[in-house]
Amino acid sequence: MVPTLKGRWLTRILLFLWIGVPITFLFSLYVAGPGSPALPYIGWHYDLLPFQILSLILLVGLVMDPVYFYAQQFRWERDWPFAYFFFFSIIEFVIVLALVWWGVLDFTRSRSELHTSENYLLFTVHFGCVFILSFVAVLGLIQIFMIRWRFKSGEWGRM
Amino acid sequence: MIRFPILLDIYQRGDGPLKRVERISLPETGDYSIGRLSENQIVLDTPEVSKRHATLIVREDGIAVSDRGSTNRTYIGDTEVDISPWDGALPIRIAQFEIHLVAHTAASASETKVNVPQDNATRALASGTPAPAPAPRGQSIEVALNAPSAPDEMRFPRNVFKSEIVSASDIKSSEYFAGESTYLTVGAGLGSFVWADHLRIFGVSKNDIRAIGDDVTPYANYQRLCRNSQIPPHERLRSNSQSTPDNIWGFPGYASRETWKDLKEFRFGGLTHIFQVFGEASLAQTFTPRSGEVFKSIDSEAQRIGWREMFVAGRVLGIRKTNDERYAVAYRVPEDQARGGVRERIMIGKFLHISTGYPATRFTDDLQAFKARFPEEARVFNAYENHEVVYRSIEQNSMPATIVVRGRGIVASRIIQRLYEARSKNKNITIVHQMRNPIAKNEGYRYKRAQRYVYNHIENQAFNWPKGTWGGQLLRETDRASPEERLKIYEALGGTTTADRRDWRNIIQLGLGDGWYKPVFGHFETLELVKTDQGPKIQMRLKAQPNQPPVEVVADYVVDCTGLIGDISHSPLLRDLVETYKLPRTLGVGGGKVGGIFVTSDFEIAALRNGSGRTYAAGQITLGGPQPGVDTFLGMQYSALRSVDHLAILGAPNVSLFGPLRSFSQWIKWCTNTKP
Repeated sequence: MVPTLKGRWLTRILLFLWIGVPITFLFSLYVAGPGSPALPYIGWHYDLLPFQILSLILLVGLVMDPVYFYAQQFRWERDWPFAYFFFFSIIEFVIVLALVWWGVLDFTRSRSELHTSENYLLFTVHFGCVFILSFVAVLGLIQIFMIRWRFKSGEWGRM
Repeated sequence: MIRFPILLDIYQRGDGPLKRVERISLPETGDYSIGRLSENQIVLDTPEVSKRHATLIVREDGIAVSDRGSTNRTYIGDTEVDISPWDGALPIRIAQFEIHLVAHTAASASETKVNVPQDNATRALASGTPAPAPAPRGQSIEVALNAPSAPDEMRFPRNVFKSEIVSASDIKSSEYFAGESTYLTVGAGLGSFVWADHLRIFGVSKNDIRAIGDDVTPYANYQRLCRNSQIPPHERLRSNSQSTPDNIWGFPGYASRETWKDLKEFRFGGLTHIFQVFGEASLAQTFTPRSGEVFKSIDSEAQRIGWREMFVAGRVLGIRKTNDERYAVAYRVPEDQARGGVRERIMIGKFLHISTGYPATRFTDDLQAFKARFPEEARVFNAYENHEVVYRSIEQNSMPATIVVRGRGIVASRIIQRLYEARSKNKNITIVHQMRNPIAKNEGYRYKRAQRYVYNHIENQAFNWPKGTWGGQLLRETDRASPEERLKIYEALGGTTTADRRDWRNIIQLGLGDGWYKPVFGHFETLELVKTDQGPKIQMRLKAQPNQPPVEVVADYVVDCTGLIGDISHSPLLRDLVETYKLPRTLGVGGGKVGGIFVTSDFEIAALRNGSGRTYAAGQITLGGPQPGVDTFLGMQYSALRSVDHLAILGAPNVSLFGPLRSFSQWIKWCTNTKP
């Protein structure tokens, strides 16, 4: 990948909309489903918690992007290897977990309800699903649909 | 001014070195025809020479050579010519013959008498040249002075292309008219192929596209260059996994395809290719595809899009605007397609694309001079020409042999690897690697905050430009820059580099340790041929830094790896186009030189706009333009996409806007090998 800062942001938003939101929707149904800590009964209810996590992942990413872009300026090729993308995605998730632990989501529900080991496991599985699909998308799925994406440093649209 | 008589030496290449077979003398101005038939003034009677092959045009102020649509073509040095002035610095090459200009200013009477054919199969009938007149046998060279042939203005396509804008109706009623096509690409090499591939996938029928060129195989020329520069099918190219001339999406790339192929045969080692793409440059060596695999993939895509039906065999000689907002393309078809002896054709197209590639191989001046002085000695080669004789001769015995490899690019690395392989047969091979100047670790090129890595006095880079120039920040910067700023970016990012390959480094390490690899720096002051006990050798005196004594090198062969000529004025077609329509050129790297043809960000040659007619260009001929890596697979994909997208916005027939759904459905067709 040879992204620019705008390209990084737009690709991140694209992955959020294409992959993050649909998967999170399924997770939110699961969280709200039978045995869920929030609403323990069957029915079409959902919980916003996975969406709150996903939004947090997006926000942390958007804030980190200028840092990556700055680091890229010291690379002769001005590229960002897939391995870096992989590694820093995990770092971003660790930051999200730390923020949750620190209490950024405490306004949504009580600490005892939020800070359970079941929830942290759920966050990790949720992140894993979104991340693996996003990585596959960056490796090639995006350009099947958006042929110009790879020449536009990760931005959408026409040339 | 030419002084008469003009003396020409005709050499013939047999199995061994060049042999002079004849010296001829041209007493006056005139057009001297060259060919196989006895009606020619200079008869070269071998099957490879066409019946009417070429004409030597001799005027008071100079000599020119013109090809007459021959099958095997006419060359000056290594440059194929249609018509070109000839100053004699390089020989004219026709099949296995070379014509050297002996002298035209210092011709003395004694020289004209030198006429000692080395075999009696030659016969000379030129006036002023005594004819030894032995019985002709097999091959003959005949010189006679008959009536000069037609002047230049009467010759095709000048006889039709009399003005900047030609009449379409005149062409349609002429004997040359060969049809019309909405989309017409000139060159029919990889650039044309990728462009036609985009058009087909964007919705254009194969009946509306024509590609005029020498060879139906789009990679024929590229493959020849690969083969000569020692990249056989199993060797890897310097190209990225997702640079896929057979697949406009770049997915799946060559790495995943190679892995998939390996996995199907239960070879799990293939997974390393995926890891290479994953960890590229930082954790793993950059993946590059095998040349043979790339060619196979192009064959399959050519089949899918109907390339064979779009291809028109012919050599393009000229292009003109027509008076109905289109373009007339004049070309000459091969002899076997002649219509009642006429091989000249003109096709009319609405949307034109020009991608004719590198015009010639380059020799540095000193080596060129050496070649001209000792034409019999096959000792100096360009890495891009066939030089198998070097490896054959040094591998056949264990005689000590020294090879000078000139240049620090990727080709030099590959030639050194080939010589290293030759060392398994002959341990006495020494490689002298000549580079212009040493480069210290911290002296790599700089651009803004980053610097290029140097190893063994050679700058390392995965591909021939930094990756960001193919679609990142660096592409954006070059695309938006003014011509002057562009030149600065080019100069900062360019330069000769090689790939950081572990096997190449090991070879250098090994060679430095054992003493059979020696880097030397500077330029050669003198190149001489010396006779030694082991046969003739080249003696060179190398001038390094001013404060150091010169270095003497005695070598058996020199392989010049300094590259190909990108200068478009070596191409008669482009030169005519540039002169006729005053096409703007880009600024060339390296001090005041001019570069390629100036194109817009959409790769359009704006100066060739003809009403609603459009002309685009791709490949090497656009060097110095909006994108640096124009002569690369990915660069051609980029320029094709830009120009076809531009056509879509103009509303060109059947070119879709190619949104996500069409893109996906076409990709499925690619995967299932279904026609687009």
